[in-house]
Amino acid sequence: MITGLLFLGLTIAVYLLAKRIYASSGKMYTSPLIITPLLIIAFLLMTGSSYESYNAGGKWLSDLLQPATIAFAIPLHKNFKVLKKHAAEIAAGVLSGTVIAVISSMLLAKWLHLSGDLATSLVPRSVTTPIAMSISQSIGGVPSITAVFVILTGVLGTMMGPSVLRLFRIDNEIARGVSLGTAAHGTGTSKAFELSSLTGTISSIAMILTALFSIGLAPALIAVFLH
Amino acid sequence: MKKIALGLLQVAGLTVFSLLVNTLTSLLHIPLPGSIIGMILLFLLLESGVIRLNWVEVGASWLLAELLLFFIPSAIGVMKYSKLLEADGLQVLAVVLVGTFAVMAGSGVLTGAIYRIKERRSS
Repeated sequence: MITGLLFLGLTIAVYLLAKRIYASSGKMYTSPLIITPLLIIAFLLMTGSSYESYNAGGKWLSDLLQPATIAFAIPLHKNFKVLKKHAAEIAAGVLSGTVIAVISSMLLAKWLHLSGDLATSLVPRSVTTPIAMSISQSIGGVPSITAVFVILTGVLGTMMGPSVLRLFRIDNEIARGVSLGTAAHGTGTSKAFELSSLTGTISSIAMILTALFSIGLAPALIAVFLH
Repeated sequence: MKKIALGLLQVAGLTVFSLLVNTLTSLLHIPLPGSIIGMILLFLLLESGVIRLNWVEVGASWLLAELLLFFIPSAIGVMKYSKLLEADGLQVLAVVLVGTFAVMAGSGVLTGAIYRIKERRSS
């Protein structure tokens, strides 16, 4: 319990420090989502602590993800008019992204000779964690491994996000929000909120839609592509 | 000081709300996670005026501003899978990198294209 609390405190302290470094350097690899886990994993390995003893305190932070997800209702409510105006392009963009996510995961996994378990566990990786895990379960993947791929997608997605947006000249707020939220769920949305409040809101909508579309489409697409 | 107390109270309120919704979704066997149902529910309550924006706004903006913090324990959880990542790490990394790149580019470009077509039509 005490070690759990210490790890909780350590995580918050390192996070706040990382946030400050990120704010002053602006370099993507200094993102708190990269620096904090790396430093803490290094610390756990050096002191020979297990993830379980860490997570006795860490889970308190994971638990806050629930009310934080619910909090997306506020920007949603504030920007509802803009959302309604752009409903068509948001829905089309997310739908295309969801299909690309499922098909690219399966085809790439197949070409790189990954096992069937890993391939199916990779399929829901751009969906927000709880839903990704339940999709993984229903299509024959391993939910806890899917959770790892989801977080990996989130980290890599926020890292490459700004360059991809620049490379493809994705320069309006609607398209940026769809792009980040569809590809990189909550972490992408957090990046989108750094760009602007509207971009973040669009991104949170995209994140929800990606989850809903994936629930409906993933099983069917897998059936078509695996056989 | 008053703002901090208000923010803490609102975060606590949102947490209780999320616990209630969780219980509700599991009782009713709704196949979606409580957090998504909770978001939709809170949105409807805000739109209908049952809950006023200033009852939740400070706490909600705190939670959203520190969103990355809540992902950190699961990111650290990757260490449990070091064996898997040692064996197939490069391939997995390649799938995630290329796949995420494709999703980001594809969905963003399509959304932008439709946006511009609609703009042109309306002008």
